[in-house]
Amino acid sequence: MQNFFNGRPEDLVHFQSTMQTIEHACSSIQMHTNPAVAEATILSLRQSPQLYQTCKFILENSQVANARFQAAAAIRDVAIREWGILSADDKRSLVSFCLCFVIQHASSPDAYVQGKVSAVGAQLMKRGWLDFMESEQEAFLSEVQMAVLGNHGVAAQFIGINFLESMVSEFSPATSTAMGLPREFHEQCRASLELHYLKKFYCWAQEAAFSVTNKVVECDSSVLEVKVCDAALRLMFQIMNWDFQLSKNAHERAINVFSSGLRNYVVLLKKSECILVQPGSSWRDVLISSGHIGWLLSLYGTLRQKSSFDTYWLDSPFAVSARQLIIQLCSLTGTIFPSDNGQMQELHLVQMLSGIIQWIHPPDIISAAIENGKSESELLDGCRVLLYIATLTTPMVFDKLLKSISPLGTLSLLSSLTCEVVKARMAENTKEETWSWYARDILLDTWTTILQPPDIGKDAELPPEGIRASACVFNLIVESELKDASASAFDDGDDSGLPQASISAMDERLSSYALLARAAVDVTIPLLTKLFSERFTLLYHGRGTSDPTCTLEELYSLLLITGHVLADDGEGETPLVPEALQAHFVDILEAKQHPVVVLSCSIIKFAEQSLDPETRAAYFSPRLMEAVIWFLARWSDTYLMPLEGGRQSDGDCQHESQPSKKALLSFFGEHNQGKLVLDIIVKISMTTLVSYPGETQLQELTCCLLLPAVVRRKNVCAHLVTLDSWHNLANAFANGRSLFSLTATHQRSLAENMIRSAAGMRNSEASNQYVRDLMGQMTSYLVDISSDSNLKSIAQQPDAILSVSCLLERLRGAARASQPRTQKAIFEMGISVMKPILTLLEIYKHESAVVYMLLKFVVDWVDGQIVFLEAKDTTIVVSFCMQLLQLYSSHNIGKISLSLSSSLLSEERTEKYKDLRALLQLLKNLCSKDLVDFSSDSSEAERTDIAQVVYLGLHIVTPLISLELLKYPKLCRDYFELLSHMLEVYPEKVAQLNNEAFAHIVGTLDFGIHHQDTEIVNMCLRALNVLASYHYKERGAGKEGLGSHAAGMMDQGGKWQEGILSRFLQALLQLLLFEDYSTELVSSAADALFPLILCEQGLYQRLGHELIERQMNPQLKSRLANALQCLTSSNELSSTLDRINSQKFRKNLYAFLGEVRGFLRTM
Amino acid sequence: MSDEEHHFESKADAGASKTYPQQAGTIRKNGYIVIKARPCKVVEVSTSKTGKHGHAKCHFVGIDIFTGKKLEDIVPSSHNCDVPHVNRTDYQLIDISEDGFVSLLTENGSTKDDLRLPTDDSLLSQIKDGFGEGKDLVVTVMSAMGEEQICALKDIGPKN
Repeated sequence: MQNFFNGRPEDLVHFQSTMQTIEHACSSIQMHTNPAVAEATILSLRQSPQLYQTCKFILENSQVANARFQAAAAIRDVAIREWGILSADDKRSLVSFCLCFVIQHASSPDAYVQGKVSAVGAQLMKRGWLDFMESEQEAFLSEVQMAVLGNHGVAAQFIGINFLESMVSEFSPATSTAMGLPREFHEQCRASLELHYLKKFYCWAQEAAFSVTNKVVECDSSVLEVKVCDAALRLMFQIMNWDFQLSKNAHERAINVFSSGLRNYVVLLKKSECILVQPGSSWRDVLISSGHIGWLLSLYGTLRQKSSFDTYWLDSPFAVSARQLIIQLCSLTGTIFPSDNGQMQELHLVQMLSGIIQWIHPPDIISAAIENGKSESELLDGCRVLLYIATLTTPMVFDKLLKSISPLGTLSLLSSLTCEVVKARMAENTKEETWSWYARDILLDTWTTILQPPDIGKDAELPPEGIRASACVFNLIVESELKDASASAFDDGDDSGLPQASISAMDERLSSYALLARAAVDVTIPLLTKLFSERFTLLYHGRGTSDPTCTLEELYSLLLITGHVLADDGEGETPLVPEALQAHFVDILEAKQHPVVVLSCSIIKFAEQSLDPETRAAYFSPRLMEAVIWFLARWSDTYLMPLEGGRQSDGDCQHESQPSKKALLSFFGEHNQGKLVLDIIVKISMTTLVSYPGETQLQELTCCLLLPAVVRRKNVCAHLVTLDSWHNLANAFANGRSLFSLTATHQRSLAENMIRSAAGMRNSEASNQYVRDLMGQMTSYLVDISSDSNLKSIAQQPDAILSVSCLLERLRGAARASQPRTQKAIFEMGISVMKPILTLLEIYKHESAVVYMLLKFVVDWVDGQIVFLEAKDTTIVVSFCMQLLQLYSSHNIGKISLSLSSSLLSEERTEKYKDLRALLQLLKNLCSKDLVDFSSDSSEAERTDIAQVVYLGLHIVTPLISLELLKYPKLCRDYFELLSHMLEVYPEKVAQLNNEAFAHIVGTLDFGIHHQDTEIVNMCLRALNVLASYHYKERGAGKEGLGSHAAGMMDQGGKWQEGILSRFLQALLQLLLFEDYSTELVSSAADALFPLILCEQGLYQRLGHELIERQMNPQLKSRLANALQCLTSSNELSSTLDRINSQKFRKNLYAFLGEVRGFLRTM
Repeated sequence: MSDEEHHFESKADAGASKTYPQQAGTIRKNGYIVIKARPCKVVEVSTSKTGKHGHAKCHFVGIDIFTGKKLEDIVPSSHNCDVPHVNRTDYQLIDISEDGFVSLLTENGSTKDDLRLPTDDSLLSQIKDGFGEGKDLVVTVMSAMGEEQICALKDIGPKN
């Protein structure tokens, strides 16, 4: 680059005119006259020959702020793009231009232009960071330092801090701008900045803030110094947000993962984000021992005092940044504190707490002030501080902190604060998310953090105040929930949505309640029992005379709370009785008096009344039943017939001998009340399925939550299958029509649960017989209807469709419940309906809903069975599947739907998509036979060649998958997953494919490597890699390889068709050099490219040669030639295909692309 | 039995019931329903409650299978809805006449000449073009509640 302003007049004229053009374009964009043209003009700036000089000229001379902004943007884009071909001097001068520019124009009124230029400077600095010498970096930054420390005036000070802010955000990988460089680059920059400069930046910011403190305290808030101070605090906050890596060595990280980190990890998942700051020991002097924190707290305190009459001050940018920094400093931890048993950290936290105590204490006065219009932000930040401190300390230490400066313990403060917030919430009576709503959430998170059962070896004992405090908070919370419930009882049900959804939305809150309750079980369990019995009495007495709705809603909410208090969510595992409930109540000797038993029994007894039709009609509304079912499911997972072994799980003999615990665990056991309760549960389930017609949400809970909970454990099933009530249910399911009124998905899960209960039968014969008895009627119905001579006319009748769909859903449910024990019976079930299924597929070919169900049944059935099948059976199943595919294809190929309604047409396309996904799933399930096979015999002769079959299947299915349908991402993924799996695992089969099938595959691969979804491109690249490697190796061994597919051939029209490998070599090179793609793809592209080059040496040489010839610029030409040379020769790459060579090639390709892509794409 | 069978085959809408009752809760998306005396395909079902402790009701959005018009209905989910008997029959297309009628070959060898071509231009051209190219076409005729319409077209290879 020539020196700037070396004054050729014609240049000046040129700059002037470009500037005018750009200015004109900018103003026309603003006025919205012809924006497209204006935009094109601005973009064309990036192509202009003397871009840097022009842009600099515009920046220095233009009066139009937007034009300056655009010039800065252009510098950035072009410099990042062409960085590789800039000389070292050019790079330096660009960065220093940006720096000088912002500092010189510090007081310019258009702040956004300065912001842009300083961001551009920061980006270019980062882009060149690893190229610059250390001394160069220092030179740049010392200029900035001068500015930040105030040597160039206050305005420049502000700008300097801003520049550092941009730098920190660019160098932090989470906030950096994409530059088309590998992740390593960003990581190296991050590490380098953290090691050399981050602390310096922090100190500069400190000094800058110090330097203006006096001014800030003395003057009003509008002076520039306040802005500087604010910016400095923001920069410090940002640095404290840095993800410090250097301080963590491997050992520490391991500890973090396995012990102390775990608790923090739990907290990290909470709503209120809580990030721990661990800058490491080198920061101790700056942050801890320098009095920095004291200065910050007193600065905030002084200004707060001074502005106590200004209601807006609390939300001013300065106050917000100061509080953010304070919160961040509360979460300091790790090696910044010496290993002195946490003493220094405790002192630090006490200091913090004493600094912020006025934000939250006294709670009642502050809450009242907020109600009267004071800003709530300080209180919320105070709550956050408590949360952070709770994360870092044990409950004992947490409580002690405040005692050193006041008579109160921290837990008492937390409790009174929570109570105050809950009271404010109750008083508000709105559904809106007000301050008390946020504060409550943060405080509940704090309680959760304190009360969360700790990991072994961690001291989490709660001081007695803590127990009292939790009881008190829980009491108030329940009161507020009940008040909410009765107030909202008459709301329209529409907004509540699915019970599942609302339950899981509340789940987090409810589990905090549960922790509070469990911290003080002596009080809270009897409280719940009392609240329940009060409401039961109200119902009984008010029956027929008063409207029970409010009470019902209160019971609903009590059931949810109690469910959480009594039991944990098992998520498919068997949850134990919560430790707090096991360990307390030591003085209870008789099981019947155990408070947990009393509470459970009262609820179960209440639920049992729903069996009586009159009572049910009187007050068991569907919504109340939903809560009952939900409660029973959660409760029975934990308490119903607990496993004997469960008691010894902690191996604690002392606990074992505790009689109250034993009483609690055995009361609902197999030999006590367990069977009775199980019977009640089954009866209630039957009631919800039969007596609540059309209540799908209730039935969903029954089928998908309660019944799975009872059939999940084998010991429960063993009792279940002996119950009369269960037999009644099974009978209604197998023979009656009453359950036909359930919706399809519930049919399926009901069937699944019925079959699973077979686990309770004595042996495998009995289980199989049980399944046959259950399903026999249904299969014979399907056989009958499909062989009915009148089928054609009756099949189309809605009631026939309903029956067939119900039965198919049930069969599908049964198929999904396949287990080794019942495998035989389910296999027979499938075999017996094979013929009917083909018949029905024919009859219902226009009834898409039925077709889909038929396909899904086969998919699930094959999925459950395939691994168990012997060779003979496999042949039967496979040939059935092929018939199914053929039949489906014959119905659908070439079919065009005619409809006036575009939404019906798109519905139809969606149905096709779902069908095809099911078919691909079926093929995938067949594939798995080759990977997992439990069959005993395997004489090679009888064996089905699965690969052959799946290729055949693909051949049938592929023509149905149009490019239109591949726009459905899931279908597209499934398809490419299957295809690339097949190509990867069975490349040898590809050689045997006929031309048509092969052309299909090549066509889709070609489509795939140009897909937007990187995952799909990856799969295609993997497939190419395998194909080319296979071919190369086979050829090396003197064999055919891919044969004519690789060599190329004449097609029917006599045109020469290139071979697959040469075709994809070209496509891949084109992609890598000239098109846009994500950098993640480079390594898999390298893996595919390497074998392709090896296979097609000649073509590769020719392409390389052409590429070089096309390059006009001699300098670039030689660079390209060199790079191509290096690609295949550096790093001692040899021509064998092994892992080491692939790795080398990957490295080479990275280097190659870094070297040439920049100019190939722009030229 | 055989009489009855004949009866069904000859005239889709006579004799056989045009609609069947079915509980609203069991009707799902992609099924059929009668809304305002029109046969519809259900494209959306949602449930809600009449007040928190009331009973569930279903909200259906259906599209008239003949006219493509959108219709909506709300029914308590324990109540019955009418579900139309929708029949689809395949015929080979023999001829398209000038006056807008098609001639179709039925399964038992006779012809059916009472069906009009669609009036919509794009649908019309889809049928006419295929036929004009000399392809062998099978048309699917959808009938429900006394109405009939060609709803799909399938190419079964070039005419011999």
